[in-house]
Amino acid sequence: MRFVDEFRDPGLGRALAGEILSLVEPGREYKLMEVCGGHTHSIYKYGIDDLLPENVELVHGPGCPVCVIPMGRVDDGMAIAENEEVIFTCFGDMMRVPGSEKSFQDAKAGGADIRMVYSPLDALRIAKANPDRVVVFFAIGFETTAPSTALTLKRARAEGIENFLCICNHVTIVPPLRALLESPDMRLDGFIGPGHVSAVVGARPFEFIPADYGRPLVISGFEPLDILQGIRMILAQLAEGRCEVENQYSRVVPYDGNPAALAVMSEVFELRPHFEWRGLGFISQSALRLSDAYADFDAELRYATPGVRVADPKACQCGEVLKGVIKPWECKVFGTACTPEHAIGTCMVSPEGACAAYYNYGRFAREREVV
Amino acid sequence: MIRALDDACNVEEGCITCGDVALPLAVIAIEEERGLALCEDEQGRRESVETALVLPVVAGDQLLVHAGTAIQHLSRGSEAPRPPAAGAPGREAEEVAR
Repeated sequence: MRFVDEFRDPGLGRALAGEILSLVEPGREYKLMEVCGGHTHSIYKYGIDDLLPENVELVHGPGCPVCVIPMGRVDDGMAIAENEEVIFTCFGDMMRVPGSEKSFQDAKAGGADIRMVYSPLDALRIAKANPDRVVVFFAIGFETTAPSTALTLKRARAEGIENFLCICNHVTIVPPLRALLESPDMRLDGFIGPGHVSAVVGARPFEFIPADYGRPLVISGFEPLDILQGIRMILAQLAEGRCEVENQYSRVVPYDGNPAALAVMSEVFELRPHFEWRGLGFISQSALRLSDAYADFDAELRYATPGVRVADPKACQCGEVLKGVIKPWECKVFGTACTPEHAIGTCMVSPEGACAAYYNYGRFAREREVV
Repeated sequence: MIRALDDACNVEEGCITCGDVALPLAVIAIEEERGLALCEDEQGRRESVETALVLPVVAGDQLLVHAGTAIQHLSRGSEAPRPPAAGAPGREAEEVAR
């Protein structure tokens, strides 16, 4: 298919691997963070890390929208989902994220009317088909997903649908990156920037990374050649002493993003003062809630929620994995007590989570092979 | 309502919606009265897509779609799509690839 096949060419992949090898200095260690969970998934699926020199390490970042949802937010959703009048809707991966007592999947098995949807529009259709029930959509995701929720709410208002509500957990990508860069236990040499978030926000929001922290960032696509070329561009910057935001994914990402998407987001959402991220704690102005103009659709204003911070299970080291401090297989419960079928931590729930991606594609090769 | 991509949520390939993954889809037909476009993926699976953020859209366009909403218009990107340029693979590259 156009835009896909040409970015999976094995010959070009080998050539890029050779160029990457020629750009690294022997004896120097390179730590590059792929911000987006989609990149993590592609890296393991296509074995990209096996193509890299030994001294280039990929660190998995916090860009998996399911992985960063804390247990307390699941509990908040559960308090709403278990109301008899409510049809609760959420994306597929979210069904399996553990709350303090159970997941939405568990609650569904217990009789709650919880339905998996593919898009917010699907949830709105359910609302139209069930006018005597209240349909609540549990919205998650970064700036890639937030425009879809915003458009759906605008559509609900335009069509006069009053039995549709949203519990908004949308998050933004820049604040956690700044938090990571401020973290004393992080040492990163560069970033593979998120491709589809950038399709919405553009490249400009990432300019603070080279400007304030002296690290290069290259926005990259998700095909194997995209990621290899992104890595090559970061290493070229480091080799040449440059430090800037570059856009490998220019076939999708305009430098200014999608202004129409940004406009609808600013109309429907406003920044929360603070939001808890799993593993990263509370980060100021890092998440969205419905604006006053859309308060009628805010499920958190209609229903009581616990709003309590719930500590992760002691055995779970998702926080360290999300910060890239440890590798997935270094977690004490990886692949034993915590598997995709019985996840303890969110990083094992979503296939874009580093633990699940590693488990599904590389669990038997924990030690890096010398290339 | 035509729905497709029903296997979007599966453990191996992942939930494309939860994962902030977007897919290139081709526009088959415009549903003007509903503000939607009927789109098709590379396997021929179809779904209705919200197009308000990428207007104007015509049949044959390629859209980047996430969570049922087109977030970019691939047919009018800032640069023509092309695979990365790279020199001929040398022996080192071959060894790395192996």
